[in-house]
Amino acid sequence: MRHVLWMTLFASLTAVVFGVVAKGSDRQRLIYGVKVFAEFMVIAFILGWILYFLPLP
Amino acid sequence: MVTREMDHAAEKAPGRAWMLGVAAWAVPGLGHLLQGKWARALLLGGVVWVMFFVGLAFGGHLFRVGSNDQGFSAILQLLPMSANFGAGLLYIGCWLTNTGFAEQAQRITYEYGNTFLLVAGLLNYLAMLDAFDLAAGRKQ
Repeated sequence: MRHVLWMTLFASLTAVVFGVVAKGSDRQRLIYGVKVFAEFMVIAFILGWILYFLPLP
Repeated sequence: MVTREMDHAAEKAPGRAWMLGVAAWAVPGLGHLLQGKWARALLLGGVVWVMFFVGLAFGGHLFRVGSNDQGFSAILQLLPMSANFGAGLLYIGCWLTNTGFAEQAQRITYEYGNTFLLVAGLLNYLAMLDAFDLAAGRKQ
């Protein structure tokens, strides 16, 4: 569970920077930041489930 | 054509923009702070500082090219070192005090720490470019 928290912390901090440096209105940048955060989380969960089923030693 | 436009834009960038860019690299958040962009300084600088110290607290280690690294080994160290170097004086301070360079691979958060430290430097490069663009008038 802690791994998810650290991953969420990483995704949220990175998304803040991406959102702030993006171009556009405040609303557009907020939406972009939220999208970046969501993409981090979704892709991490997808990769996590793929790795779960791989028969790694 | 594009090169000419970029050269023209580089010529137009005032010396102040370059100085603010260097300040933004050296102390995360300072480049925006000196331009009166308090919110940006707080958000960008805050994120870099938090990520750097969380990375150290997680047991991550900073990279450097040491005298033992020769040839390909030195090149392998160079890329992550350049990412760490983006944290500016935070990295230099750690280098001078020899803090954060010891590997603590036995810690469960070791890889998280490495990632936080690397990304803190890379994000500060982004913040530095943002401060430069704002100072040069290329961005509102």
